[in-house]
Amino acid sequence: MLLQVENVQKSYGDTEILKGVSLGLSRGQSKVIMGPSGTGKSTLLRCINHLTLPDGGRVFLDGEELTPKNINKMREVLAFVFQDFNLFTHLRAIDNVQIGPEKIRGMKKKEARDLAMHELERVGLADRAHAYPAELSGGQQQRVSIARALAMQPKVILFDEPTSALDPELTGEVISVMSQLAADGMTMLVVSHEVNFARQAADEIIFMEGGEILEQGPPSKMFVDPQHKRTRQFLDVLGHEERGS
Amino acid sequence: MNDFVSFAAESLPEILQALPVTLSLWALAMAGGALLGLVFAWCRVYGPKPIYLAATVYVEIFRGTPMLVQLFFIYLGLPEIGIVLDPFTAAVVAIGLNTAAYQAEYFRGAIRSIPSGQMTAARAMGMTQLQGLRWIVLPQALRRVIPQWSNEAILELKYTSIAYAIGVSEITAKAEEIGYTTFRFFEVFVLLALVYIVLTSIVAQILQFVESWTTIPGLRS
Repeated sequence: MLLQVENVQKSYGDTEILKGVSLGLSRGQSKVIMGPSGTGKSTLLRCINHLTLPDGGRVFLDGEELTPKNINKMREVLAFVFQDFNLFTHLRAIDNVQIGPEKIRGMKKKEARDLAMHELERVGLADRAHAYPAELSGGQQQRVSIARALAMQPKVILFDEPTSALDPELTGEVISVMSQLAADGMTMLVVSHEVNFARQAADEIIFMEGGEILEQGPPSKMFVDPQHKRTRQFLDVLGHEERGS
Repeated sequence: MNDFVSFAAESLPEILQALPVTLSLWALAMAGGALLGLVFAWCRVYGPKPIYLAATVYVEIFRGTPMLVQLFFIYLGLPEIGIVLDPFTAAVVAIGLNTAAYQAEYFRGAIRSIPSGQMTAARAMGMTQLQGLRWIVLPQALRRVIPQWSNEAILELKYTSIAYAIGVSEITAKAEEIGYTTFRFFEVFVLLALVYIVLTSIVAQILQFVESWTTIPGLRS
């Protein structure tokens, strides 16, 4: 397993958000986590790279456990894409992508620049390289943030609801970039309700409810014949919304 | 009027002899205040509780007492515990410590105004908190703080005149001296006021230029 999550727990006060969640991704796999809101999906993702410190459980990346000591080193190759992009306002698109390899990995400026340009091409934004975030649409900003993640040459990318801050007509461009990444063999763990992405690109759907994983399986099975009644109800509603919109 | 012009032509060069003292006093105090202010701002935003409290106490003391009292304490009070400073140094220290307290508050406000998600994103890439501050938060916060910082710079430029009280011969001291030798206090202080107005206008212009020069779309101050 490239990413191994073992029995991760998290509570806020008396409220148990994660009741011991375990999952694994092997190299090149992409999995989509779905489930009702307030179920702990985003908390799980943040616990995986310790943006939120879990109360218990362990996370391994490529066989090495994440600890407070190695966390910065590990995060370099465990990228995170946020719901609201969080681009650096004062930097042009290309500098947003360049800063990681240059300042964190210590790559030479010229090399980092070329790499940044290459990643912007990959998300289809080479022509907007010199725009500031405020000059980009939401969909473009999210693609820049994906390029920023890619420039760190990560082993795994975690996506936290990457399209839910976007207008419906802008989700498509982000979803197609993500599908391409999955097809290129990137290892991805995605919290999202995008049924199309899940159908096309996910190797497995993980259904979470009430702070635990209820069931998981390939999309062909989960969308057609899930074991749990709750999973069926939820995915049915999602499917209808998708067709309706 | 002609009378004033000829008086001014004679006295202005004398006043301006002391200009380097005023300007270096101001520049050193502002620079020291900016460095210290940044450190205190860090303490107030990111510091653990004891450090946060210490910085808060500092800021409250220096904002809550008159600068003249601080100056007298440093120049006249500290020698009693063995710290003897010459007047110029004492004035730099007093004005610097005072402006540090105000600048800390401006820096703190500017740092807090940067959406916290950007620091989170920096940390998520593997930056340490200091790297995030250095590469992401400060470049934005420093741009945002320019208008307030300009006010502070102009205020302190005028406040350098209190150094007169401990015998630093800056431009106010010089003007008073001219007054006593010519007994033309009215004219000399009008002239001095004009000098201050020109100085503060120049500083304001320069900082306004810096502000527009560093403007970035989407990053309003």
